[in-house]
Amino acid sequence: MTYEEVIFYVIAVPTVVGAIGVVTARNVVHSALFLILSLLSVAGIFILLSAEFLAIVQVLIYGGAVTILVLFAMMLTRVRDLPAALDGPQRPFAALAAGAFMAVSIFSMVSTDWPGETDKINVISIEQIGNDLFTTWAVPFEVASLVLMVALLGAIVLARGEEGE
Amino acid sequence: MSLVLISHNPWLESLARLAIIALLVPVTVIILTWVERKVIGRLQMRLGPMRVGPYGTLQGVADTIKLLTKEDVRPQTADRWVFELAPFVIVVPVFMAVVAIPFTADLFIKNLTLGLFYFVAVSGLSIVGFVMAGWGSDNKYALLGGVRAAAQLISYEIPLVMAILAVAMLSQSLNLAVIVGAQEDTPNIAYQSLAFIIFAIAGLAELYRQPFDIPVAESEVVGGPFVEYSGIRWSMFQLGEFVNLVLISILGSLIFLGGWQWPWSVFDASVPVAAQVAMMAVKTGTFIFFFMWMRASLPRLRIDQMMSFCWQLLLPFAFLQIIINGLVLVYDWPNEILIPLSGAAAAGAVYLTYRAARATGVRYQPGYQTVGSVL
Amino acid sequence: MVIETRPPHESDLETIDINVNVGPQHPATHGVFRMVLTVDGELVVDLDPVIGYMHRGNEKLPENCDYRQVIGYHDRTDYLAQFNTEHCYVEAVEKLAGIKPPERAEYIRVILAEINRIASHLMFFGAFGTDIGLFGTSFMYAFRDRETIQDLFEEVTGERMMYNYFRPGGVAWDLPDNFRQRCMQVLDSVERGVEQLDGLMMENEVVLARCRGLSPVTPEDAINWGLSGPMLRATGLAHDIRRAEPYSIYDRFQFDIPTGKRGDVYDKLVVRLEEMHQSARIVRQALETMPEGPIMAEGLKRVLRVPAGEVYMRVESPRGEYGVYLVSQGSDKPWRHKVRGASFSNLSALRAMAVGNFVSDVIIILGSIDIVLCEVDR
Repeated sequence: MTYEEVIFYVIAVPTVVGAIGVVTARNVVHSALFLILSLLSVAGIFILLSAEFLAIVQVLIYGGAVTILVLFAMMLTRVRDLPAALDGPQRPFAALAAGAFMAVSIFSMVSTDWPGETDKINVISIEQIGNDLFTTWAVPFEVASLVLMVALLGAIVLARGEEGE
Repeated sequence: MSLVLISHNPWLESLARLAIIALLVPVTVIILTWVERKVIGRLQMRLGPMRVGPYGTLQGVADTIKLLTKEDVRPQTADRWVFELAPFVIVVPVFMAVVAIPFTADLFIKNLTLGLFYFVAVSGLSIVGFVMAGWGSDNKYALLGGVRAAAQLISYEIPLVMAILAVAMLSQSLNLAVIVGAQEDTPNIAYQSLAFIIFAIAGLAELYRQPFDIPVAESEVVGGPFVEYSGIRWSMFQLGEFVNLVLISILGSLIFLGGWQWPWSVFDASVPVAAQVAMMAVKTGTFIFFFMWMRASLPRLRIDQMMSFCWQLLLPFAFLQIIINGLVLVYDWPNEILIPLSGAAAAGAVYLTYRAARATGVRYQPGYQTVGSVL
Repeated sequence: MVIETRPPHESDLETIDINVNVGPQHPATHGVFRMVLTVDGELVVDLDPVIGYMHRGNEKLPENCDYRQVIGYHDRTDYLAQFNTEHCYVEAVEKLAGIKPPERAEYIRVILAEINRIASHLMFFGAFGTDIGLFGTSFMYAFRDRETIQDLFEEVTGERMMYNYFRPGGVAWDLPDNFRQRCMQVLDSVERGVEQLDGLMMENEVVLARCRGLSPVTPEDAINWGLSGPMLRATGLAHDIRRAEPYSIYDRFQFDIPTGKRGDVYDKLVVRLEEMHQSARIVRQALETMPEGPIMAEGLKRVLRVPAGEVYMRVESPRGEYGVYLVSQGSDKPWRHKVRGASFSNLSALRAMAVGNFVSDVIIILGSIDIVLCEVDR
């Protein structure tokens, strides 16, 4: 095994363990913490792929902000009814959906022609990302921001509705 | 060139550099605890520690030994793994952030192209540790403190990042060495005084020091997330806090004060390493002293005041700075125009804060009654 | 008085109110006071004060003591305003027994009680600064000056805390020779220190933002809740027992009664700060006019027997109205001995003042009451 492979497995194991932990942990807060572990390990994989910018964004957005908010919501809401919710009559459907998604992922992974050689990978610089994002892909970028904005406003309206009554 | 290490094996060299961090940082923290106690002591008309060593200089060592030998207590009802891992989750990202910080032009662990961005991303991870400590301790004070910490640190990260981003816009780089290099003539504080003020305040909040020590408020939540910790785990929180203090101070002096550059080109082309280190020490020390000074002289804000200050004042002004920078960049105006623009905006921000603090009315003389009782 | 508390609300987002037990061991409760806060996030929706951890039978024990032995128990009710409480008790006994203390003793008592008021308010500012989150700086400022006052008291009484110096009929012994000069010195330095404390706290933006308009109390409420002292005067009512019902020789001195306007926490600070200056003013006048002469009334027996009867004596202690109710049946011991503690009455308004505020505000509302738990629980 090369160094790269060793490092890959060192990173991949927590990714998978974290992912399994998310669904098997009986405690929602533990689930959220496993999620953080998994997402951070994904950032490690990004680094291994020389996608440093993506890795840092992954850490910034998922490791820091999003999961914190998830944790926040879970800590403050009642978790009493959760075991029942984890184990409902929809279980087979959930298994089916998850299995189908996994099949699609594996299929696309196998069928894609990945650049296997190191020299084929071109490291995308941050300038390039910036230029692309704000020129070629400006419209999708703005649409995405708009969607987030709507979500933000919705959250505020929902939260304030309680006080305004 | 980087830290002068004579090794051609990259693995060995990396290990050696990490070992240097692991050794140097705790020593710095031990010294800083003594400095903080001394500075705050002087500000409070006390001498500070005087007994251990000359002028109490060994106080930090004594404290460390005490903390390391203390029993590590875990409440029986605490969530074992969450409780025990929380200190690591706080300390590890802080140490990871040290990697990207250049101390002088030649002294650094790793010069990253995305250094600034990396720093921001990694230091945001510590918040998870606060939440874990708060939730895992099974203590209501800790829970309140953890929630406060998460809310405060996430909120203030945004203006902090915005202020940093403003500097990155001006320097056209996220590489800290390049940002410092770009300040050869004028430090960024002149061009970006508004961003500097926002950075200093948001940094204060990120360090949860007075007046933003809401998560650990001694008189309310008795130390917040740390209330159940003792011994070495508690000292890890302390370590994280002080390393963060140093990091924010170094970052501030790098991106706003011109880092290791001497003002007015005292040394012509090449500044000797010792002079660079001295300059960094002076600038970083100024920041650290500022943070300690605030600690000794300001009371604590209320949580809603802290939040509205961030979202209603700091964040809009951070955006304003970015818009100003954007205008200057797009229309190719000279950088000098930033000095009055940013300065005026900074003055406006300060004035608004001043007014907000006095919105409820100013002090008045008490009424005097010389007649008898009205009852 | 009905206090509106929020009913548990029904909504889609199900949140829970948690009970937070603040105290009896907590840095902000000034002793062993306990309050059970019901918090919805950071908002306090209910508060349940629990007292009694410091109960020592301080009202019952004196009923087995000689009249002069009781003085020590009054040092221990309000241990921050010992001279004021002693003053109240000895005046009560004198009133019941018909003893007239000599002029000089009265002056000594007034001087010491007023300086003690300054010391007590200094303690308040120190502790309040800590409550509001000042990292010990106000404490250090306040204690520097309180220390000089305690040195002065030590020179007079030989004690730094439980002075036990006043006696029915006078004071235990005369003042040291250079007292007048020393006292002036102390007053000067303390007033300078008070100015510094003023500069540290009162104009501080954070203090203004935190305390202005926090939990305002109307004069009507203040009267209904039985508030007294600075708590009452902060609402705008100029009620001061030294003026309303002058005891001892307070009718001879010029002083003003500072009052607030809104009764919020900030007003309580302003009133206390100004009271320190007024106390200093009284002490200066008293030092000017203090006569020489005896310090103990003539003809008192070794065992003091007080004729049958009852008396209620009240004084203006730094915390408000401190009262002693004595019933004598002619023996050498009080038959009934009851203390009215200002802290207790002021504290009982805590729930009404605190509910609906943030957790951190409840802490400073409690701090602004300036309680002494030994006086609350007795």
